[in-house]
Amino acid sequence: MEPDTIAEQVRMCGACPKMCRHVCPTFFAWRSEAPTPHGRALLMHQEITGTREIDERGVEVLYQCLECSHCLTWCKPEIDIATLVEIKRRDLVKSGQQPEAISRLTGLVKKNHNPFGEEHSKRSDWIKTSNSKGSRVLYFTGCTAAYRETGSAQDTVSLLEHLGYSVEIAPDEWCCGSPLIRTGDVDSGFELAKHNAEVLNRTDVEAILVTCPGCYRTLTSDYSEYGHELNKPVQHISEFLRISLDKLPKGKFDGPITFHDPCHLGRHSGIYDAPREVIAAVSGSSVVEMERNKENAMCCGNGAGLRTMFPDHAKKIGDERIRHAKNVDAQYLVTSCPFCKNMLASQSENEITVLDLPEFVMMAEKVHYDKTD
Amino acid sequence: MLDEKTKKKAFERIAAIVGADHITRHKTDQILNAHDAWPLSEAKLRAGEMLPLADLIVFPGTADEVSHVLIVANELKIPVTPVGGGAGTCGGTLPIYGGIQLDLKRLDKITEIDHTSMVVRVQAGVVGIDLEEEVNRYGYTTGHTPTSLRASNIGGFIATRSGGSMSSLYGKIEDLTLGLQVVLPTGSIIESKAVPRHSVGPDLRQLFIGSEGTLGIITEATLRLFPIPEERRFRSISFPDVHSGLEAIRKIFRVGILPSVVRLYDPEDAALSFSMHFEFEEGHCMLLLAFDGDLKKVDIDEKKSVQICLEEGGSDHGEGPSKRWWEHRYDMYYPSRLTTGGYAIGDTIDIVATYDKLENVYHAMKEVMEEEDAIVMSHFSHMYPNGGSIYMIFFTSQPDAETAWATYKRIWDAGVAACHREGGTMSHQHGVGLSRSTYIEDELGSSFNVLKTIKDALDPNGIMNPGKLGLGVRE
Ligand SMILES: Cc1cc2nc3c(=O)[nH]c(=O)nc-3n(C[C@H](O)[C@H](O)[C@H](O)COP(=O)(O)OP(=O)(O)OC[C@H]3O[C@@H](n4cnc5c(N)ncnc54)[C@H](O)[C@@H]3O)c2cc1C
Ligand code: SF4
Ligand code: SF4
Repeated sequence: MEPDTIAEQVRMCGACPKMCRHVCPTFFAWRSEAPTPHGRALLMHQEITGTREIDERGVEVLYQCLECSHCLTWCKPEIDIATLVEIKRRDLVKSGQQPEAISRLTGLVKKNHNPFGEEHSKRSDWIKTSNSKGSRVLYFTGCTAAYRETGSAQDTVSLLEHLGYSVEIAPDEWCCGSPLIRTGDVDSGFELAKHNAEVLNRTDVEAILVTCPGCYRTLTSDYSEYGHELNKPVQHISEFLRISLDKLPKGKFDGPITFHDPCHLGRHSGIYDAPREVIAAVSGSSVVEMERNKENAMCCGNGAGLRTMFPDHAKKIGDERIRHAKNVDAQYLVTSCPFCKNMLASQSENEITVLDLPEFVMMAEKVHYDKTD
Repeated sequence: MLDEKTKKKAFERIAAIVGADHITRHKTDQILNAHDAWPLSEAKLRAGEMLPLADLIVFPGTADEVSHVLIVANELKIPVTPVGGGAGTCGGTLPIYGGIQLDLKRLDKITEIDHTSMVVRVQAGVVGIDLEEEVNRYGYTTGHTPTSLRASNIGGFIATRSGGSMSSLYGKIEDLTLGLQVVLPTGSIIESKAVPRHSVGPDLRQLFIGSEGTLGIITEATLRLFPIPEERRFRSISFPDVHSGLEAIRKIFRVGILPSVVRLYDPEDAALSFSMHFEFEEGHCMLLLAFDGDLKKVDIDEKKSVQICLEEGGSDHGEGPSKRWWEHRYDMYYPSRLTTGGYAIGDTIDIVATYDKLENVYHAMKEVMEEEDAIVMSHFSHMYPNGGSIYMIFFTSQPDAETAWATYKRIWDAGVAACHREGGTMSHQHGVGLSRSTYIEDELGSSFNVLKTIKDALDPNGIMNPGKLGLGVRE
């Protein structure tokens, strides 16, 4: 974005009469005027006009943004705070002003190639694949599925094999770079991109599949924007499964199913229908929509480093999303993102079953057999 | 601003009440919390100016905490500026003498819906849209539909005597509020019981409705609910002039019909708002009507209203313009390049008068405001059997900040003076805050002394929102 455009946008937004604040999850979590779209814009505006530099607290306010883009859905002049914040974070990282928690996160990713500080060697050695003869696809697991949502990762492999594919896991997959790019350290992010692009481009597969929308967005848009082109198509699991609806396991679920749109999949990548079609095909009933859905879906609270820095506030947002699902009496809350699933499941208090899409589909398989056994 | 010693003392004592996470003295927070949606504040922020800042911002979580904070503020004689949604249009939340901004957004519980009595008890910090959506889930509406619904809080609505665009049918917030809990400036918590009507002395609840934080803090309210109407129908009629449009409105009310929406756009506003989307004669006004209720009643009311309009010289334009306004009613409040470019500034003087004076007020205000270099466009809205309100919307763009702010003030001075001269009242729903503070003595005349006496009795140290509503103005 050109500096003039940035200046014009933050000028307009900084003094907006708070027209989108009601959907900003960080406003919800803090109930303060600071972590809001117009608050963030005003900080940037004052810096640009020379009124006031962004201080440490200002940096914090900018890093409280989930980059969920929910505000953009409600903004008539289409001011994209998530992008403006991300651009500003790059400056902050360059001048060493990012919060300590973010520096630590970057350090972890650089050292271990994942943001959890887990051993790289244990990334995917546990995933069981069988020697199927079908066409070869590569499953790019992403860090969350590999270390925190292993059930989802294993179900993804089983499901793909059920559909007749031969599944490969990249021999030396690193974090896709999303956590670093979104929090402003693009240089470090693109070191990861470079590595992954080399590894992925050497593999002999027909397509690369991802379940994590954060990885999907990075691999499909950030990599190419910075010159790390991938030489095979990258598909999100929801779109991939949509092609084979009739081959998916079918099962009867004993309660209403709702769907949580991950921000990176929905608002950032425009994929809304595919996961819904998969759920409908598998369960035989359409998704019961939460009041806030698709372009208007609330973030789960896990984005852009918020849970790392402000766990309690992130969880408050997750709780609220669970409440939305309960409002429509859902018994199953399906999402199509291991990262969202992880947050939502942690807040569900076992009152509602939270599943990542591959887990949901594989559950149908189990429900199916249970019913027919 | 407070001296460092008092500030430190207040910080420590209040942190002990609300918890360290719910008080801040960071300059960044002071700046981001300072302003409401007063167009002059917004224009100054765009121009890179700084606004007055509070020393401390406090976010209490209960009425008890509010009470204890006020006790400390009283003891230390610190000004307290309440903050609701921060979307008021009069500078009411600007902490012009520093001190504490008491932000009530953490009072965010919808306590109880009473289905038998059709009322809801709600805390002051609940955002309007959150309450409306919650009661909608049970088949109700609050009937309160201001265009700040997404940003303003219940406490702010009540503190400013706000009005929704459907107030002709449902009433303004003063009609919708049955009960109140208020923390007085000295810290005592009082309740005004929720009853439909009473005969126990003056209605003290009304003392706090519209008090703009100068007499206490509203912490909870009981509001009326209505079943969501079976039918909402829109109709639009154009008129050759303001006079015939107003006559039609007056006669519709006279036969006992209460439309939910009644908005008459003068030729300038009609051209700006509708000519891009609908065909109607140049220089004509546009009347928007809506009817809420059961099908049969809506049919009858609509038919009769249209007949009256045609008799007054109107031409029928179907549901188009009216429905479009309803669907796009938030659009005009978003910033645009035109309205935020350079030193552009606009505002609305939302006056109110009885029918005998309304037209004169309109013409007189328009004339003097235009003389002060304003583009003026208006609509008559929030209409009632005995009169109604005019949104005198103005806009001016000047080459530099100093000229812009001075022109803005001259337009206001001229507009309000004309309104008073012709017998109008200077605000129907936005309140007084800072923008109208200097005119309040002209408005209230000798009754201003009554307000002042009440203020002095309830707030002996003058801590509550000093400088607003013309009260507690300091040198
Ligand atoms: C886009 C837009 C559209 C608008 N449309 C309308 C409309 O259709 N109708 C209408 O009436 N107004 C409208 N307004 C004006 C404004 O929103 C209302 O006046 C609203 O009632 C203010 O509520 P708030 O919560 O934003 O109050 P704030 O701006 O936070 O506060 C307003 C005043 O009340 C005081 N206050 C706030 N809460 C409390 C409390 N709990 N106890 C005591 N004092 C308190 C403050 O100190 C301040 O003086 C609009 C404003 C905007 C920006
Ligand atoms: S993002 Fe758009 S709607 Fe939201 S505060 Fe900024 S300008 Fe207003
Ligand atoms: S991107 Fe999300 S968290 Fe950030 S300001 Fe917009 S709505 Fe709020």
